[in-house]
Amino acid sequence: MATLTVPLSRIEGHARAVINFRGGEVLSAHFQATELRGFELLIQGVPAEQVPVLVPRICGVCSTAHHLAAVKALEDACGIVPPPAAVQIRELMMLGQLIQNQATSLFLFTMPDFSGVEGQPSIFHLGDEHANIAPRALAIRRLGTKLITLAGGQFIHPVRAVVGGVASGLDPAAMDALRRELTDGLAPAMELVDLNWAMFEGLRDRIGTLGDDEPAYYLASVYRGHSYYGSSIRVLAPDGTEADSFTARDLSDHLELRPIEASYSDGIMFRGQILRANSLARLNLLPEMGTPVADGLLARFRSEWGYPAHAILLFDLARCIELIYCLERAVELLEKDLTHAELRAPCYSMEGEGYGLVEAPRGPLIHHYVISGGLVEQARFVIPTQYNILAIERALEVAARRYITDAGINLELERAVGRVVRAFDPCIACATH
Amino acid sequence: MEERFAVLQLSGCSGCEVSLLNADDWIDNRRLLYMPLVISSDDIPQVDTLLVTGAVYTEDDLFRLRAAVRHAHHVVAVGTCAVSGGVANLGSRDEVRELFLDSMERRNVPRLLGKSRGIDTVVPVDRYLTGCPPTPELFMALLFSPESFSAPRMVCAECGRKKTRDRPDHLVGFHGGMLDPDICLINQGLLCIGSSTRAGCRAPCPRAGHPCVGCRGPSDTFIERSSDEWLEGIKRVFAGLTDIAPEEVDTGLRSPQFSLFVFQFADYTGTPRDKSKVF
Repeated sequence: MATLTVPLSRIEGHARAVINFRGGEVLSAHFQATELRGFELLIQGVPAEQVPVLVPRICGVCSTAHHLAAVKALEDACGIVPPPAAVQIRELMMLGQLIQNQATSLFLFTMPDFSGVEGQPSIFHLGDEHANIAPRALAIRRLGTKLITLAGGQFIHPVRAVVGGVASGLDPAAMDALRRELTDGLAPAMELVDLNWAMFEGLRDRIGTLGDDEPAYYLASVYRGHSYYGSSIRVLAPDGTEADSFTARDLSDHLELRPIEASYSDGIMFRGQILRANSLARLNLLPEMGTPVADGLLARFRSEWGYPAHAILLFDLARCIELIYCLERAVELLEKDLTHAELRAPCYSMEGEGYGLVEAPRGPLIHHYVISGGLVEQARFVIPTQYNILAIERALEVAARRYITDAGINLELERAVGRVVRAFDPCIACATH
Repeated sequence: MEERFAVLQLSGCSGCEVSLLNADDWIDNRRLLYMPLVISSDDIPQVDTLLVTGAVYTEDDLFRLRAAVRHAHHVVAVGTCAVSGGVANLGSRDEVRELFLDSMERRNVPRLLGKSRGIDTVVPVDRYLTGCPPTPELFMALLFSPESFSAPRMVCAECGRKKTRDRPDHLVGFHGGMLDPDICLINQGLLCIGSSTRAGCRAPCPRAGHPCVGCRGPSDTFIERSSDEWLEGIKRVFAGLTDIAPEEVDTGLRSPQFSLFVFQFADYTGTPRDKSKVF
């Protein structure tokens, strides 16, 4: 048996793909996470009120999602309902998180694979013809960071959400300025999306596939007009019918955790079936987005690739639609009064067991705490990348079969491995936590 | 010749990288040669400056750090994890042992070391860029004009909240009730240590209503002294502005969220860091 190990870059964290084969026969493919910090143990004994600002350190890419999942879990434990304006400020944080993440994934992580110039190490090396892409992409990405900063306080690890609501309202002048910036950002974002879409079609023509993997189940916690704040989780069957629906609290009755021997990340299955979460899952679970420009893109997407869409590389186009949606949705929310409204319900003691769910960039994220005497007795995290781990492995195996044959190993394999993994945009710091 | 730099990421959260990506002036100069988060390249080329983020927590971190510094003239420890081991040091050693034993059951993954460590326990460090994470402005200043960057001595001076004569007699915790948007958080009974934390971040947390937890570490007044002296300094501030018992302040400072940052320079080597190295 021969083993091919492909180191991975342009993803969050440390991971590698390992493909085992004999002659032209692919035996197995693995996706291995090679880092671990151990947050479920580290957070034990910590005062519950400190948790929302410690857990963002699980991941600097998805920090907002952890900040809010923690706050929601503690509110669930204490039976506190935050005021509507506080929820809207939190929704703005999530929209900022999604803008930042989808722009990073689309432009910094995958665009070098799509550009048509093979072997480009990064978006900063696309050559003179595309030299202006990187600054434009970073400018769109920065809109997300600005929104996180405005709504969340700190620029990477937010601090504004507290149990019961938010610590303070938003400055109306800053809201107004950012609303104008986001409005003005829509056109340049659409230009980049169009460019990405064209590169994407070029890639499909060049490699002759958008992914040969079979259809799968999809999972997300979204509804029309949502702001990634999380609701109940729904599972879609490959034929587009709803297969299951449950709350964060009941997750373990509906999904199965699968430890993976040579990885620090576990995987998650649905009734023994492969699951997919992230952008394509959300699109497959939404009738429409709820904002005009994004809905135009979604109609185009569905007319070209049908419903539900299954090809793996479509995750990237789904991210394009979400990027535009988040810009539009954030502009709507920034028109509200988030300065003087009631922002906080009081909380005097923390006790009990709670679950918090948000729709993080990579899927439904759940924090689960048992609080005793104000301290964390037990913590458990269900991480979106874990839903996709087994889907990544199956897709890697399919890609390996395409490029490892009796004729030999096609050198396209290494690039295919990168494309497959990046389509799922895995986050290893989160997955291993 | 223009200065070339690389970013090596050890066990961390990528937050430092995400912050650096917002400091995008370096793009025009194409000086960034290695950063696996956004650039696919197998080996670190020869660079002038190596920025290291994350802690030394696995044997893989140890190997990669030792290999990388051979290619760099200057090594910068970026963020709390690279400075002191960071957030992975929360909790007791028993829990770390439990993790270590868990990892023994998994084959072919890099093994965990017994403790999450700052990088200067392994290689010499020329500069420390503190913050969890450092702001884009601080990255730019460090990379391009460290001499001309100026900031007040402490976060307090960047915050802008007004001090009053209100003297709270207990800490209220973070979740008590609505805060006044303009009044100093200490006057409102919050354990804020911006009065002696290194400035330069522009105080985003206290401005948003969350106390400064000291992620940038002690100001120059305290950086070369023991952390006990910093703790005493903080307690003196609270004695001056509040009627809160010093024991209550002390307990708060030793809670995980504060101790993570308060003790980041106070520690394992016993040698104080030269303040000229801390940015």
